[in-house]
Amino acid sequence: MDLFLQTLLNGLLIGGVIATFTIAFQLTFGVLHVIDFAVGGWVVLGGYLGYYVTALLGLDGFVAIPLAFVLFGALGYLIGPVLYNVRNSRTARPELMALALTFGLFTLLRGGMLTAWGFNTRNVTSMLSGESLAVGPVIVPLIRVAAAVFAVAIAGGLFLFLYRTRYGLAIRATAENRHNAALMGVNIRRLSANVYGLYAGITAMAGVLMGAIYSVNPEVGLRYTLFAFFVAVLAGLGSVGGAVVAALMLGVIEAFVSTYVGSSYSLLAIFATLFVVLLASPKGILRRGL
Amino acid sequence: MAAQPMKSRWPGLLLLAVILVVLALMPLLVNNYWLRVATGALMWAGLACSWNMLGGYAGYINFGHSAFFGLGAYVTAFLMNDPFGLPFLATIPAGMMVTAVFAVIIGAPTLRLRGAYFAIATWAFAEVLIQFASAMDFTGGIGGIGLPPYLNERFFYYAMFGTAALTYLVAWALFERSRFGLKVKALRDHEPAAEAMGINTALVKLQTFVLSAVTASVFGAIFAYWVTFINPKSVFGGDITDQMVVMVLLGGLGTLWGPAIGGVTLFVVNRLIWMHWGDTAFYIAILGAAIVLVVLFLPNGIAGLFVRRKANALEKVAEKLIGGGGER
Amino acid sequence: MTASAQASAEPILLVRGLYKHFGGIKATNGVDLAVGRQEIAGLIGPNGCGKSTLFSLVSGTVAPDKGEIRFDGRAIAGMSAHRIARLGLARTFQIPALFDNMSVTENLLAAAAEGHWPGAQERAAATLALLELGHVADNRASDLSGGQQKLLEFGRAVMRQASLILLDEVTAGVHPNIRKIILEAIASLRERGVSFLVIEHDMEMVRSVCDRIIVMDSGRVVTSGAFEDIVRNSEVMQTYLGRPQ
Repeated sequence: MDLFLQTLLNGLLIGGVIATFTIAFQLTFGVLHVIDFAVGGWVVLGGYLGYYVTALLGLDGFVAIPLAFVLFGALGYLIGPVLYNVRNSRTARPELMALALTFGLFTLLRGGMLTAWGFNTRNVTSMLSGESLAVGPVIVPLIRVAAAVFAVAIAGGLFLFLYRTRYGLAIRATAENRHNAALMGVNIRRLSANVYGLYAGITAMAGVLMGAIYSVNPEVGLRYTLFAFFVAVLAGLGSVGGAVVAALMLGVIEAFVSTYVGSSYSLLAIFATLFVVLLASPKGILRRGL
Repeated sequence: MAAQPMKSRWPGLLLLAVILVVLALMPLLVNNYWLRVATGALMWAGLACSWNMLGGYAGYINFGHSAFFGLGAYVTAFLMNDPFGLPFLATIPAGMMVTAVFAVIIGAPTLRLRGAYFAIATWAFAEVLIQFASAMDFTGGIGGIGLPPYLNERFFYYAMFGTAALTYLVAWALFERSRFGLKVKALRDHEPAAEAMGINTALVKLQTFVLSAVTASVFGAIFAYWVTFINPKSVFGGDITDQMVVMVLLGGLGTLWGPAIGGVTLFVVNRLIWMHWGDTAFYIAILGAAIVLVVLFLPNGIAGLFVRRKANALEKVAEKLIGGGGER
Repeated sequence: MTASAQASAEPILLVRGLYKHFGGIKATNGVDLAVGRQEIAGLIGPNGCGKSTLFSLVSGTVAPDKGEIRFDGRAIAGMSAHRIARLGLARTFQIPALFDNMSVTENLLAAAAEGHWPGAQERAAATLALLELGHVADNRASDLSGGQQKLLEFGRAVMRQASLILLDEVTAGVHPNIRKIILEAIASLRERGVSFLVIEHDMEMVRSVCDRIIVMDSGRVVTSGAFEDIVRNSEVMQTYLGRPQ
């Protein structure tokens, strides 16, 4: 029973971190109509930043959170318009070319990081590392709790921004219907740059948190791309609200399979679930399809 | 088809004849090392062509194509070992049949999915196979499985050459010279309209998918026998699909010769990098950069430069640099 | 009476009690209509009255909730689109749905790929000549002008050698010259036994080409008859078309 509760809590904590970047992923799809293969790359970059903040500057790993947002947000802001142009170009199949572009970006990030940092696994360390918190019979590493708290704060901030500001309204309107938003005077191209920057920044922040919970190496990016796809498919592409629920489910599934079946089966379980869900309800999913 | 400008066909045919003669005489012209490189280049050109059948002509991006390459490889490895001990040639049709069955089972439901969903579903399928092959005993698990060694470079060269040539012949006849190709391209460009023209799009897609998968399985079978040892990563790995996608994009999506140009170019670059720097992750970065550059500046691939509208391609580059591209 | 004589006595298209609801929206709400052999019937009505949904239901793009559709004496409701097309029913799309990356000739050939293939090359050439598209035969479909795209859309339906063609605003917004080409082609196809059901907003076009007019509103057919009779009934015109003429 204790193990059960322990596993459930772990799953929810991790699911919370997954939720932060999958929300942004969904938002990006809504606005840009691009499935970003590179999502896992941004997560890993954030994780490395968290590592270097400690390794080079001797600061607490969590200091990297705002840094990650500024640094990778800026990078995303530069990439956003390029992605927008490809998606809206007059080439034969723009949606396919955009997918290929993010795929290339992901491969470039992965190869670049492997070249620079090798296969070594890195951790984000904090003063909370090694501490743990006892909630009744359940013992939780404090760093996971902290990561989940940061995750909720980031997601909360994003929701406040989306629902309480004029610019957030413009983003939501665009995700709802690009054509109408354009008619109402929204500059979709500039908005796309901002949204992609926002998304890259948030995803890198989530990467810092992921690096604190697990560890990062350049090869784990694929795993986070899978997570984002999984959530997108379960929630329906572009659905921001559903993403939270789907991310928590993913965290719990992952935790339970790892604990009770074996961690080598967790990816198999996630891929198999993803595949079955795709086949079982293509109609429901396709409602917001490409 | 009728779209091509009516220029003389002779220069092209002559070039093709020269290439075929050189390829046929290759074992006499180069040493064993370069013969292996040529064998690999032919394999990749053939694999890229098999991916292009579905990806280029039908417009369905298969991110799990390595699944079928791996199935062919594993069936051959499995059947050549005890207790079966079948001869190599007998394992190829077996691998083709197993792959065809898998392709129908996987293709029938996934081909209903559009665009990115199809890409994700096929990617998930290939990853499931990798995890599965790693976990099972009869596949040799993560350690892999060996095959009876057969050290005859010429045999493998001609096997790859023959298979690749046949692949291109089939692709040419089916997609460039027949009604079938018209149906496939029609559904790529507008599926509801293709249906309204009486085309059974579900069936045509499935036929293309199975053809593409079975072709890849034959290369997988030869590859397994050639390298005499396979494991889940080496034949199911995502990198295999990545390479095929890059090769096709680089050469020219939906063209007959694009995959050959892209496949040979990229594979030779790969070998040159390997010769200079060994097995380096830098190659992955180059792959990524190549995709980005091709998408941005060469969306029609290398083949696109030689076909019509040279000026147009340059205009697009200019447009991209200046930052055009209006709202759609 | 033989079976074929019986079939030919029946209208080419017969729709009875056709329902299709999308969520709460009643796109068609019990449509009854018929198109006679060699008839050119015009389908008019305000936007959102269910005309285009009716086309989707008849051509099999969308399956009806309930109701009967008989085409050439055969029940086709719920049949898949490609099977209906193979029975001899062709359609155009309101927004041209061309095969963008194929040439104009290839577009026409693709339309014949699942049909009577021998002689398709010759028929494609004849269609190009008929629609005066010969000079752009090798151009990519997406490079055509808007009017040319409408022509090609129409040309593909011609290539189907259909017995009934559904035209969805095929002359909307095109140059008068192109409209003239299309109208003449419709007339000559009718001489060869083809029937038409035409969605049109342009009353002048409706008057000049249609034998009979079917008026739809709110998902059902309200009236049908000769153009003059419908126009004379100014109440109908005002209620359903919003502008007396």
